[in-house]
Amino acid sequence: MMFRIARSRDGRTITHYDLYKVDIKKGMTVLDALFQIQDRMDPSLSFRYSCRGAVCGSCSMLINKEPRLACRTQISYAKSNDMKLKPFSAIGETPAGWNPEVEILIEPLPNMPILKDLVVDMTKFYDVLESMKLWSDAEDGDTPRSQTPDERKKVERYVNCILCALCYGSCPVNAEKEDYVGPAALAKAWRFHEDSRSLEPERYTKAVKRPEGAPLCDLIMNCVKACPKGVAPGGAIRKLKNL
Amino acid sequence: MTISSFEHDVIIVGAGLSGLRVAIELCEKFDIAIVTKVHPLRSHSVAAQGGINAALGEDDSWEAHAFDTVKGSDYLADQDVVEILAKAAPGAVIENERWGTAFSRTEDGKIAQRPFGGAAFPRTCYAADRTGHNLLHTTFEQALKRGIKFYTEWFVISLVKSKDQVCGLTALDIATGEVHGFTAKAVVLATGGFGRVYGHSTNALINTGDGCALALRVGAPLKDLEFIQFHPTCLYGSSILMTEGARGEGGYLVNAEGKRFMEKYAPEKMELAPRDIVARAIQTEVLERRGFEDEYVHLDLRHLGKEKIMERLPGIREICIYFAGVDPIEEPIPIQPAQHYSMGGIHTNKHGETPVSGLFAVGETACMSVHGANRLGGNSLLETLVFGRVVGEKVGEYTSSAKQPDKSCVEEEAFKMREHLQTLLLHEGGDSTANIRETMGQTMDVLVGVYRKSDALEAALKMIRELKTRFKNVSVGQSDDKFNFALVRTLELENMLDLAEVITMGALMRRESRGAHWRLDYPQRDDENFLKHSLFTMVDDYIKTELIDVNLGKFDVKERTY
Repeated sequence: MMFRIARSRDGRTITHYDLYKVDIKKGMTVLDALFQIQDRMDPSLSFRYSCRGAVCGSCSMLINKEPRLACRTQISYAKSNDMKLKPFSAIGETPAGWNPEVEILIEPLPNMPILKDLVVDMTKFYDVLESMKLWSDAEDGDTPRSQTPDERKKVERYVNCILCALCYGSCPVNAEKEDYVGPAALAKAWRFHEDSRSLEPERYTKAVKRPEGAPLCDLIMNCVKACPKGVAPGGAIRKLKNL
Repeated sequence: MTISSFEHDVIIVGAGLSGLRVAIELCEKFDIAIVTKVHPLRSHSVAAQGGINAALGEDDSWEAHAFDTVKGSDYLADQDVVEILAKAAPGAVIENERWGTAFSRTEDGKIAQRPFGGAAFPRTCYAADRTGHNLLHTTFEQALKRGIKFYTEWFVISLVKSKDQVCGLTALDIATGEVHGFTAKAVVLATGGFGRVYGHSTNALINTGDGCALALRVGAPLKDLEFIQFHPTCLYGSSILMTEGARGEGGYLVNAEGKRFMEKYAPEKMELAPRDIVARAIQTEVLERRGFEDEYVHLDLRHLGKEKIMERLPGIREICIYFAGVDPIEEPIPIQPAQHYSMGGIHTNKHGETPVSGLFAVGETACMSVHGANRLGGNSLLETLVFGRVVGEKVGEYTSSAKQPDKSCVEEEAFKMREHLQTLLLHEGGDSTANIRETMGQTMDVLVGVYRKSDALEAALKMIRELKTRFKNVSVGQSDDKFNFALVRTLELENMLDLAEVITMGALMRRESRGAHWRLDYPQRDDENFLKHSLFTMVDDYIKTELIDVNLGKFDVKERTY
């Protein structure tokens, strides 16, 4: 199987694509293929990784124009292209020379500055967690607080978020508006707002109402399609906008 | 002018649960920073599935938790340390609940608890099968709230000592390829385990034992490294963990003859016997030709029903579908044992102090020892949070009275490390990092695995020493300064080779079978000679070995049956 991989030695822009021939075994993932390239063909290829089990959220990238976790994407599945995202430039335009019949195309996650090859600068994505104060304020105490299974169920979907940023990379608004905090942060705000244990749920809704928050979302729902964990940030944002 | 060195009161290496909890303990009073090779949320704590133990139930007690832990450890755990762990457990769980962790709940709103291997009560608190994910994200949120300083994507290369006292470290800024010095009064190592020494491991690819190797090289002893936990149920092929919670919820282990074979090995506890016993049972079934394809057995969840699987084990189901093409609602899961946890680690006392002044360790990196020869499921998340706090307190005490560290030493060392990396990068024509790493992994899997014996261990030691020789001329290959992961993986390999040697030496030296360490040529536990911790210290360029006493006193040492 051939892999066509975006390269950027100095960051900022994709300067060219390199083509590699990877030996495929049954059960192999895209991440396995990237390691085969780094180990056997080209040690200069840079990409992030950690758990290889779809829980840490490190290996987000664009695989055949769809934002996916490389570790969770079987090579045999990479060509399925079933996400049906609303296109924007990074996922709508294909590089010259790419033959989707025989090549898997790997590019950095869109909407973040490229640092090197497939490594992107996630500073903005992380910084909003701090600027929006997305944490619990509970005071210390000696007993656990009560929460029923039904109350927990209201936040379960949102606590499953692994902050992999695939939603951020799939969002046409993030592509256009640099300041937009993105779907993950808004879903996380909703998680705290909905948590029966939160002392001051309004704090989180105030945080999302800022101009670069929920008002910027156009409910395009690419985030819902791209999320590997079923978090569906778009649903939470719709509710936030209706508050 | 660019900054060539950084200075803080305390530097913590590693941003998993242990490192974050230490930082939270210290951040109000001291200038602290965490140096971590991955973003904190990418740390391996995130992958812990099953749960965290605490005697919250009315019929349960910290004494019962402590007893189960000591018995599970095959009596090698230090009983005074286990006492701290079990007593502080409810507090640690409650603290994280109040910080926001969404634990699964009982109908009446209490934290739900599930049965786990080797435990007399359902003592394991959980957040579905994503407990580590929930605890890590919550604890990271609390670290953000406190404004803790992170150096993210920095790889620590060496610790620096001045007159027998640790005074800082040197680290590679992965983003730029530059090496800088960090001066500190105290350094806390919280770098997790070293599972990637093995080819088959449930661990994240980043679990390369960096902290243990750094400590060894600066003269701090390692302890009990031969005790490697092999998790019985890992997905065949990728070795991704299938939580013990799957058996806690009622899952069966079935061989190719369709039999629940655990009745032969642990008739009372069956599938919920401790991990070492279940791992050996599976290995024996496969070796005696009752496995599938002579490789694996089945973990069968089908009788639990769709609803229970979807509610309690959704993460497991997802992994099975995406990584093995198996839906556990419809089909049994192919599983085999794989390396899972490192009971051994940096030798510390119950406060996390190493014998080297100014150097502390906590969590899986450390060996205090709470897990002895075999860790019980649900005790490692607990260890990180309990001892993160305990060690943090001690580091604070130490730092308050520590003298100003020697900055010039750190700068000298950074200069030396820049030269060292330059030399390493210039090697040509040697073996590749990948070749050496693969041979190491296979050697450890085959020769230092679930079952061990003298001649295999001798062969392993010979091979690892040969690999160390080959590593001296390792070829990293052509790359760039920025995000040179080929270099990072080579430095990780150097760390792992040191640890592979010590694990194998320990396995050879321990001529008995205890907990996770099983010698076919010495199948009995030998309390007379080996109710001892093994200690490994680097002296010049050889490893000195010795045995030291275990802290007993609370529970009598007995035969361990389930």
